[in-house]
Amino acid sequence: MRAKLSPRPYGWLGSFEAMASPCEVHVADAERDLAERILELTVAETRRIEAKFSRYRPDNVVHAINTAEGRPVVVDDETARLLDYAAQLHQLSHGRFDVTSGVLRHVWRFDGSDRVPTRAAVEALLPIIGWSKVRWRSPEITLLPGMQIDLGGVGKEYAVDRAAALVRPLSSSCLLNFGGDLLALGPSSAARPWRVGIESLAGTEAAAKQIDLASGALATSGDARRFLLKKGKRYSHILDPITGWPVPEAPRSVTVAAPTCSQAGMLATFALLQGRDAEAFLEAQGVQFWALR
Amino acid sequence: MQLKKRQSPTFQKIGAPLAAATCALLGQGTSNEVRAQELQPWDIDTSLLIYSEDNNRVQDISLNGLARKELREDSYLNLTLAIDTLTGASPSGAVPSTVVQTFTRPSGDGQYVIGAGQEPLDDTFQDTRTALSANWEWPVTRLALLSVGASLSDEFDYTHTGLNAKLARDFNNRNTTLSFGAALANDTVSPVGGSPVPLAAMLEVGNDANKRGDQSKDVVDFLVGVTQVINRHTLVQLNYSLSQSDGYLTDPYKILSVVDPVTGNPVPGPAGSGLYRYLYESRPETRDKQSLFGLVKRDFDGNVLEASYRYMTDDWGVDSHTFDVHYRWNFDGGKYFQPHVRFYQQTAADFYERVLFNGAPVPTFATADYRLGEFDGLTLGVKYGQETSSGEWSARVEWYTQTSTVDSTALVGSLNTLDLYPDMNALIAQFTYKFGGR
Repeated sequence: MRAKLSPRPYGWLGSFEAMASPCEVHVADAERDLAERILELTVAETRRIEAKFSRYRPDNVVHAINTAEGRPVVVDDETARLLDYAAQLHQLSHGRFDVTSGVLRHVWRFDGSDRVPTRAAVEALLPIIGWSKVRWRSPEITLLPGMQIDLGGVGKEYAVDRAAALVRPLSSSCLLNFGGDLLALGPSSAARPWRVGIESLAGTEAAAKQIDLASGALATSGDARRFLLKKGKRYSHILDPITGWPVPEAPRSVTVAAPTCSQAGMLATFALLQGRDAEAFLEAQGVQFWALR
Repeated sequence: MQLKKRQSPTFQKIGAPLAAATCALLGQGTSNEVRAQELQPWDIDTSLLIYSEDNNRVQDISLNGLARKELREDSYLNLTLAIDTLTGASPSGAVPSTVVQTFTRPSGDGQYVIGAGQEPLDDTFQDTRTALSANWEWPVTRLALLSVGASLSDEFDYTHTGLNAKLARDFNNRNTTLSFGAALANDTVSPVGGSPVPLAAMLEVGNDANKRGDQSKDVVDFLVGVTQVINRHTLVQLNYSLSQSDGYLTDPYKILSVVDPVTGNPVPGPAGSGLYRYLYESRPETRDKQSLFGLVKRDFDGNVLEASYRYMTDDWGVDSHTFDVHYRWNFDGGKYFQPHVRFYQQTAADFYERVLFNGAPVPTFATADYRLGEFDGLTLGVKYGQETSSGEWSARVEWYTQTSTVDSTALVGSLNTLDLYPDMNALIAQFTYKFGGR
């Protein structure tokens, strides 16, 4: 779908689809030309990142790494920075955030059904999960045969932050929103913050919470739509890579405010991985957050 | 069975290493200051105000609540509730005397006695007032905000009902705002013991021959104003307002002393009343006020100076000047400190008389209410506040002193030895707590 720019009372709204999400670029107090340039920059950067790091594409670096069958792959600088980042997140989360855990989706399909996998099926995957089994000596990465990496857990937030960095010199009255992960470069006009709604759990139209965002990022992690329900037990799509099973008693949705979308997204994900202690974890981090259970 | 108490684990703070990792990923200068705030269903402001005049004069304890709800973006409902409890005594308007004076209470069912040299204060002054208002504001166009409201207040001798509307329109990239406002009010006065016939003499207890029933007045206000943003640090505002009152504008509890023009002593009142001669005050039935208000607000590195001046003039001959300055010092952690100075000066109404002289013709209008005399008022105050994650609290203390100008024509005979114009001092303390949204 092509990107579209439409006038709004405050300025302009650019919209496009990327990374399986509706993406929006709100630009206030700007001429059409400027709004168009901002939208073009954002679309181009987002599509570039999606093309380069999507695990669904047969022609990119992630595909090369995932199909190397035990051979080392030398990666470019940007990929190396993302892998360094993944390594640091793995360490900071004590192994709970793991870019190699994506293979669990072979047995876990969070489609709202009751198809919970067998214990044996989950256990069969554990040998090919674990960042500690990856040999990463920048710029060279080697996976065990059958292992895969998936940068989907950081990609959307990374795209928001990258696009924001490109837009920043052009406008400070701009808000990027990629499927609920968003960043405001500044207020919409002098002292007027952006109004952001956090979706309510029931999926109703009304937003559960409304937040005024003048600058900074908000990212949300949760399973408002992605879950399994069996015998009254709800299985969250937040999987613990150590056990291969959903983290019990995690909040349904966590939204965190941080200086960058990447930080906000990571804090939200780390919090969900803490299960029942998600809120305590975020309290300890001293960040603004909104958790829905 | 063994019971285990579950303890929440303590968490490592990952903020700094995560920030460092993100910085390595994205490069320098990609970070944004976080300014996010959740909207609450209602913003609530509450305050307790204590106003206390010295020498056992008026004491007011006032509880105020404001609830504000955002109905849609930029559309707000504001509800206010105020409850005031007034106690204490207020000057009746009569002058002190070298003799003991006896007065009939406004209710007509009792007397009070003021000793020689004492200021005549009516100590029956006691009331509870409840006031409610509702106001709805919404954008009628992208640049115009309309607000409409209604107000109601009730105390045992006074009822107020009012309607108001205001339109504000932005121009010039929202740097200029023009405002137009209008308000209508209808007030009913039901004085205790009836409303006295203007300039009638005070009668003895139980005699209500000089009293009438309820009275009312209408007030219409208009306002036109302009607010201009000068630059990032400075804003100025200029308002003109016109207020027209029509109806019963007299204070039913205020009286004037009639004294001997030579001795200054009270003269005998109506035969058989056993009182000296005191006349109920009389004011015109219309009053037109105009005022001009100018304000400058300026930011000095995050601290804010606000200075304003108001000139008011009316067709009663009262002209007033008000200078008001406060400066808000903001400190780390949402704390602020705000000193305040206000100076007020007014001329007397044309019909203000401290006393009436026996034998002289009685004027059509006369009042000895000190609030219509010539005086200066000075207010000095400080406020300290603290913004918190959930709202803000603040405490304010102010001291007010009012000095009346002595009119030497009133100083005859024994009145020369008495203080006809005592200073009035008041202490104001207020505690405010806000919670909810911003």
